[in-house]
Amino acid sequence: MKMKVVFLNLLLAVAMAVPASAHFQMVYTPEIAKNKGGETEVKLVFTHPYEAGHTMGMGMPEEFFMLHQKGEEGKTKKYDLKKLLKPITWTSLTNSGEAYEATLPKKICRSMGDYTLVLVPAPYYEGEEDIYIQQITKTYMNVGGLPGNWSAPAGLKTEWLPLVKPYAMWTGMTFKAQLLSGGKPVANADVEVEYMNHEPDMKKNAFKKEAKSEAPQDAFVTMGVKTDAQGYVTFTVPKAGWWGFCALGSGPDKEFKGKELSQDAVIWIKAVDM
Amino acid sequence: MKKIFTKLVVTGGLIALSATAALAHSPLCSCFDNGDGTVLCEGGFSDGSSASGVKMYVRDDSGAVVLKGAMNENSEFEFNKPAGHYTVTFDAGEGHSIEIDGSDIVE
Ligand SMILES: [Cu+2]
Repeated sequence: MKMKVVFLNLLLAVAMAVPASAHFQMVYTPEIAKNKGGETEVKLVFTHPYEAGHTMGMGMPEEFFMLHQKGEEGKTKKYDLKKLLKPITWTSLTNSGEAYEATLPKKICRSMGDYTLVLVPAPYYEGEEDIYIQQITKTYMNVGGLPGNWSAPAGLKTEWLPLVKPYAMWTGMTFKAQLLSGGKPVANADVEVEYMNHEPDMKKNAFKKEAKSEAPQDAFVTMGVKTDAQGYVTFTVPKAGWWGFCALGSGPDKEFKGKELSQDAVIWIKAVDM
Repeated sequence: MKKIFTKLVVTGGLIALSATAALAHSPLCSCFDNGDGTVLCEGGFSDGSSASGVKMYVRDDSGAVVLKGAMNENSEFEFNKPAGHYTVTFDAGEGHSIEIDGSDIVE
């Protein structure tokens, strides 16, 4: 009996020692603040961005679409992008996994205004925890500096509502966003924050080997933040590049195929140096 | 622009504020060659306000106005592409106009 307890403790210790990096669904395109619109390449990758670690095989997403709006009084146009998806293999520093790419035609990306790329992936089965994970993800783009619907909710089951333009961040600015579930704020939610420490190589479908920063300890790989009583998070961006925010289990769906489902909300922002 | 006008009508107290907002926002305009002999220009302001009603001019090489119009309710202005070199002016008043060279307007 005693042996068993010791053994279990050991197992737990080993499990805890596994790098603390978190799963992040990426919806990635290199430029999100464009002077001119045009054909846009997007990669969908489910991975551990700080360490460019283990990439999970995604499966065909449930939904992938884009919301475009010119001006605050403009109409929101919705474009289904799912039909543009093509499977690719994404290579991380430790493995490779099933991912997707899409080339958005110039016709739908040439206008000024805000573009919100929305991905609702298929729930991913995480064997180690025996749960499903579904990270509903938003990435923003803007053309020409004309704002549109960046501050409006996309009507997702769970999502981040930015209070700062996610595509117009200087390094050192403070990002603020509100976490919603079923359109209502989520108080005291656990949020993981990660830096995209290895630049994606769009041609090779891989992360570049070279890292942009070094974490002094595991807690810096995936930072922990909590939403306040009104569901808000503020985060001052210390370094240029991409930052992902993932609210764990914030969505209303708690079960998939008889197993626990963590329905998360992810948003990506990009900061540039002055 | 519409928004500002409404504010002016509604309360006098807001005039000063609105006027500042009008100066603070910058005009935005971009045009595309549709590839079918027409050109589409779209406009707006950096604060997200509409460009509906903004005057649009198309000028030939000599600077003469060959086409005159205004941004529609979707802040768009479409016109038949003139032969030869031309420029497009988005004219939202003093300090708020943009001139685009026809040679920069591509598909
Ligand atoms: Cu993982």
